[in-house]
Amino acid sequence: MVDDVLVIGGGVAGIQASIDLAGRGLKVYLVERFPSIGGKMAQLDKTFPTGDCSICILAPKMMECFSHENIDVLTHAEVKGVSGNAGDFRVKILKKPRYVDEEKCTGCGDCVSACPYINLPDEFDMALRSRGNIFIPFLQAVPRVVMVDREHCVKCGNCQVICDAGAIDLYQKPEEIEIHVGAIIVACGFDSFDPSGIKEYGYGRYKNVITALEYERLVCASGPTGGHLDRPSDKKTPNSIAFIQCVGSRDVNHNPYCSSVCCMHATKEAILAKEHYPSMENYIFYTDMRAFGKGFQEYVDRAKNEYEVRYIRSKPGEITEDKETKNPVIWYDDTVTRQVKRLEVGLVVLCTALVPSKGIKELADVLGVELDKNRFFKIADPLYAPLDSSREGILVCGYCQGPKDIPEAVTQAKGAAARAAEVLACLGA
Amino acid sequence: MSLENIVNETKAYYCLECGKCTGSCPISRVNKGYSPRLTVEKALLGFDKELLADGGIWSCMTCNLCKDRCPSNVDYTKFIRYARAEALKTGYTGNCTHGGVLSSLMRIMGNPNLKQDRLGWVSDNLKISEKGDILYFTGCLPYFETLFKDIGVNSLDIARSTVKILNRIGIKPVVMPDERCCGHDLFWTGDLENFEKIAKLNVGLIRGTGAKKVIFSCPECYRTFKQDYSEYVDMDFELVHISEFLAEKIDEGKIDFGSLEEDVTYQDPCRLGRHLGVYDPPRKVISSIQGIGLIEMEHSRERSICCGTSTWTNCDRFSEQIQKERLKEAKAAADTLITACPKCQIHLSCAMKSKTPIDEVKIKDFSVLVASAMGLGDDP
Repeated sequence: MVDDVLVIGGGVAGIQASIDLAGRGLKVYLVERFPSIGGKMAQLDKTFPTGDCSICILAPKMMECFSHENIDVLTHAEVKGVSGNAGDFRVKILKKPRYVDEEKCTGCGDCVSACPYINLPDEFDMALRSRGNIFIPFLQAVPRVVMVDREHCVKCGNCQVICDAGAIDLYQKPEEIEIHVGAIIVACGFDSFDPSGIKEYGYGRYKNVITALEYERLVCASGPTGGHLDRPSDKKTPNSIAFIQCVGSRDVNHNPYCSSVCCMHATKEAILAKEHYPSMENYIFYTDMRAFGKGFQEYVDRAKNEYEVRYIRSKPGEITEDKETKNPVIWYDDTVTRQVKRLEVGLVVLCTALVPSKGIKELADVLGVELDKNRFFKIADPLYAPLDSSREGILVCGYCQGPKDIPEAVTQAKGAAARAAEVLACLGA
Repeated sequence: MSLENIVNETKAYYCLECGKCTGSCPISRVNKGYSPRLTVEKALLGFDKELLADGGIWSCMTCNLCKDRCPSNVDYTKFIRYARAEALKTGYTGNCTHGGVLSSLMRIMGNPNLKQDRLGWVSDNLKISEKGDILYFTGCLPYFETLFKDIGVNSLDIARSTVKILNRIGIKPVVMPDERCCGHDLFWTGDLENFEKIAKLNVGLIRGTGAKKVIFSCPECYRTFKQDYSEYVDMDFELVHISEFLAEKIDEGKIDFGSLEEDVTYQDPCRLGRHLGVYDPPRKVISSIQGIGLIEMEHSRERSICCGTSTWTNCDRFSEQIQKERLKEAKAAADTLITACPKCQIHLSCAMKSKTPIDEVKIKDFSVLVASAMGLGDDP
């Protein structure tokens, strides 16, 4: 019987759950697959409906979590095996090599500039920027430790020569760690749906059709363009942007559920475009406007009235491209005026479905918990045990158990932390 | 079937009224009065009479573009088919083109005692059998030949080329002297009574030849046998489109192509492409011809645009607009357009002859192209 807790996933929910548990004096292991904690929230420019800078409100939490004496943060690591029962789980964790000694690396970045091969797509910036074979995951990464992409590294040794700390170890081996915990909290988040299968929208075929997460990086001051909306085809600012809702969500051919945040993030993204460029024309193509949360409807009203965002009730049939200008052309049935119309814009942003994160099935198998029909984690009971998974002692919170926005994910994380403590107390830990 | 049942059968009640169908529809783009979304809404709101009297239901090409994109999986193509059958009962029908001769012909085919002279086109150099394992189903080609010669379409060239190709690879296909039209157009215009007669006649005739495999050059016949006959009659033979058959023979190394220096583009027939998911075999065959450059049109494969009209009904200026747009797309890709459906060839060739001329696109059938690449082109 132990009262340590494992938290899987270092996004905002996992971070919050870890901080809460650590604050109670419990020992926490936080395992994150990516080389930095922060999750999807770190990639967003602003949050809705308050317009807060996303990384500015998240970064202090990331630091608090990482530096907390009761939290052991394991990045670039995956949970590979779980045995035992609530109160007594044995967990195998694979710590993948980053080919850099985390203790020694100071995050100075000298090695990053010394790498002669800078042509790989940067994952964090949605491939809108190139990175080298040795890189810091992103500007505000925690831990701020470089990592080597050994798949592409040619072992020229430049980074080793320049590193004063002697932190680079190109022959680092994967490490298997076994821990003993009493409860597990899963907060492994979501991924953005790949819209290239929706052929009629031309993602992947037309350069100026991008996804909302790509747009977030474009419009972000610390993003690849420094916040300038340089559209992919010619690096020029478009005059108009169309946001298309429900791309791959509320669609039985892809994901039948509503992703729950897109109406609001599109509204925010349109407002941001207008704030950056006062002459920008913004269109939001929606199926049904779902502005249900606190302050949401007012936010949409402001977008309409103060920022001149035009909301069009229609799911476009098709996007084509003007061959000369590379402008996307949207063909749609305006369901209010009942007319088929053509709208040429400078940039199209597809607000894609948010789907269970890659590898959720494998993780569920390792944990011995069930998924629901949409491949989110199944909860024991929506009313009486909304944070319990199908297995005792394993709790689920945030987007990985169903669509929700940031505040709701944080609320659940706090609930899951309290519930974990409760489970442990009941077991007599 | 009552409209209420049609709504239930096609799951139209799941419609979100999002407009993706109408935004996709090639007809709605040119004909402001036609909207799949509003057609479904009429049914959902109980405007039965208005819906059945709406000429628009006869304009639908049933090309499946909207069906495939519908986020709620409403089967609009089926919806239209059922609505037409219901409208027909109520006395409404579409505008039959060509003086209704084609629909009359099809109905005549239901007569079991019909005597046809169907094999006049089989010249001495073409080897066919009365009985055998492999049967070639020619469909309406002999009739199309007579009707559409004036627009420069020789539909029987498709049949001749197909037989020549099969002969070259050592097959003497069965070609039936008393074959019936497959009934596709009757099925899609709601005449299910005659359709059933034809389906049973055809399957009986094929059984009589002992054929184990039936090859089609027409995607409409292929779809009809594959998806629609089974409701009415059991079949114990394999069905295959000539492009699939040839793609397989290429893999087996049984086809020798000469060289054809030509850039071509390819029109996916809606029945072959979206209805049956056959996109790759025709492309594979065309690309296997030495010297040929296959250049895709802006709209190809799943996004392909239909040839403008279907079932010889409601062919109008909107159809012509769609056809001309399609021909422009073809021209932007290559000078030669390969069609794999005799109706695509007829409809697009007809648009080429319209009063307001457009840039010349050579339209060639798939089998005819393959035959000439195999050096079989110039025989009579």
